[in-house]
Amino acid sequence: MLPRETQHKALQWLGRQLFNRNDPEAFFDPLLERINPMWVQEYTPARVEQILSETRDTKTLVLKPARRWSGFRAGQHVNICVEVDGIRRNRTFSLSSSPLLWQDQGLVTLTIKRLPGGLVTNWLHDYLQTGAVIGLGEAFGDFQIPQPARPVLFIAGGSGITPVLSQLETMAALDYRAPVTLLYFVRTRDDVIAREKLLALETRYSALTLNIIASNESKEPRYLRDQDLDAVPGIKARQVYLCGPKGLMDLAQDLLFKRGFADSDIHSTFFSTPGADLGNQTLGGQVQFEGSRLEVGSEGDATLLEIAEAAGLTPRHGCRMGICHQCSCRKTTGTVINRLTGQASGPGEENIQLCISVPRGPVSLDL
Amino acid sequence: MKKMTEAQLSELETDLNAIRDEVLADLGERDARYIRRMVRLHRSLEAGGRIMMPFGFLPPVFVAATATLGIAKILENMEIGHNVMHGQYDWMNDPSLHSQTYEWDTVCTGDSWRRTHNYEHHTYTNIIGKDRDYGYAVLRLTDDEPWKPWHTLQFINYILLSVLFQWGVGLHELETEKLRSREISWREKLPFLKEFARKGGRQAFKDYVFFPLLTFPVAPIVLAGNVGANLIRNLWSSTVIFCGHFTQDAETFTEEECEGESKGHWYLRQLTGSSNFTGGRWLHILSGHLSYQVEHHVFPDLPAHRYPEISGKVQAVCRKHGIHYNTGSFAKQYGTVVKRVLRYSLPERLMGMARAA
Repeated sequence: MLPRETQHKALQWLGRQLFNRNDPEAFFDPLLERINPMWVQEYTPARVEQILSETRDTKTLVLKPARRWSGFRAGQHVNICVEVDGIRRNRTFSLSSSPLLWQDQGLVTLTIKRLPGGLVTNWLHDYLQTGAVIGLGEAFGDFQIPQPARPVLFIAGGSGITPVLSQLETMAALDYRAPVTLLYFVRTRDDVIAREKLLALETRYSALTLNIIASNESKEPRYLRDQDLDAVPGIKARQVYLCGPKGLMDLAQDLLFKRGFADSDIHSTFFSTPGADLGNQTLGGQVQFEGSRLEVGSEGDATLLEIAEAAGLTPRHGCRMGICHQCSCRKTTGTVINRLTGQASGPGEENIQLCISVPRGPVSLDL
Repeated sequence: MKKMTEAQLSELETDLNAIRDEVLADLGERDARYIRRMVRLHRSLEAGGRIMMPFGFLPPVFVAATATLGIAKILENMEIGHNVMHGQYDWMNDPSLHSQTYEWDTVCTGDSWRRTHNYEHHTYTNIIGKDRDYGYAVLRLTDDEPWKPWHTLQFINYILLSVLFQWGVGLHELETEKLRSREISWREKLPFLKEFARKGGRQAFKDYVFFPLLTFPVAPIVLAGNVGANLIRNLWSSTVIFCGHFTQDAETFTEEECEGESKGHWYLRQLTGSSNFTGGRWLHILSGHLSYQVEHHVFPDLPAHRYPEISGKVQAVCRKHGIHYNTGSFAKQYGTVVKRVLRYSLPERLMGMARAA
């Protein structure tokens, strides 16, 4: 018998001959989708089993992905794909459940906060119903707990709690043998996501110390301060994990650096496009879309994706925040600034992500 | 061509842009549902045709299977492939319906088509010497092109082109007329020829080798049915396409009059260089809505099923500007195409004499 891989390759080749596409297995999707949407091959379908309300603006989706999905490690993210008014929208969310739930029951959860003006989060809150099928990408990200066990400090803000939930669940289930502290910042006490789960974890998992801080309940905003860190026993030896809004992450990093923490001991993950400080650079320039024989000028920090769309082009795209690489495109000449890091690219030919690249001077794209 | 001042052309541009903007603002679920329905129908027809084909030793089944597969190919080429590759559904952000990656069920590669059709033909529509789709460098369809003796027999060429249409379209980018005049060399065309061989080989392998061999005992029947299906598609698509630009009143243009033209002038050229034909809903769908060739040429990247809806508005704009809106029944339009192919097979001199007599 042929090894599975070879068989697969031969079938792929034949599929390409017969159906003229690089993913021939998806050729019959339009029919399969009608019979059972979970049979779709183009992406991994996931059925919405349950929708739980966490707070007034946060819901948890319990999903059952098709069995071929490869699973994940605690703290990882996934892209989901939903169709809103005929348009496919991809967005990235953290998995909030433990991988053990996937292994035991084939379920995963996403905990999603409604963002003001957010097209997809609002749609998910208002229109997604139990029984619907959405697309799920493979998990990615390296926001992972140290193995073997070391003391850990999580600093989370708002919906930044989601990957931490996944990790705490996993640590509790594996009986992770090291002190674990969570400093969880919320606006008000009503905004605590997964309160019951957190309290249950604290009772069940003795290594965990939970400290929930409401930042906006008093007259003076109550932000993270040095004393909060002082109160964490043995803080010097901790691996620190940051997840939340940019203000909190910057503040935490500042305080930690002052205490002599090294970069390698601080792990962070972003929830909104953070945006490096591009203030002191002259940005914008003539952008040439070679494939479309189009040239337009841009000013300020507009990204190439925004510039292309404003010029009437419709490049493929996904998350619009530099994560999913759906919008990757060949730059033939010119320099672009990465909006996330503030770093400049080389001037030559290379692949760039349109959604986070801001032109600095003239740029030509193979688009 | 109708003469219009730059101010009039600019007004024409504004009027047509308004129609376009209105559709763009309204794109959404309805359009997504429509194209997905067409894709689903195509998959059903293709699967149905292929499954029926081996039972083609029963004559009625043979006819049904061949027709089903032929219609599947027509639907995929005309309503799905051609329109998707124009970017009509790019806004859906669906990788299977994206203009730059779509590959269709015909010999011509998607890339070659995007260059020769989307760019050359749609930009230089009916400009003699620039739009190589005008007569496909095989037919003489206007007196702007000098007559040569071999044009006398061009009706035979027309029939051959129609029968082998997918191969003709596939080889279009070879630019044989430029190879013959040594304007370009065979070496330059090597990359194109490689791609052509790959895609042509793939198409031939599928229809003429793989499926017949898969059903070995009835291989000749399956082969014949697949040849028939391709023939049906070839004849139909060439007929539809010829009705789009080669009808009696479809105008041609010279390079001089189009030099440095404005968008308004480009619009005028699309309106006067294209022709529609009327018919029922399914005639439009099977023509990929190229029965609304005028609307298609003015707005090549609007979802084609919208053309019937905006046709009234386009006609109103034409009336307002005194531009002839070229339409008629399918039979009438096709009749003028055949006449045109015949008429220009003879030199202008002879035709003039015939008219005088």
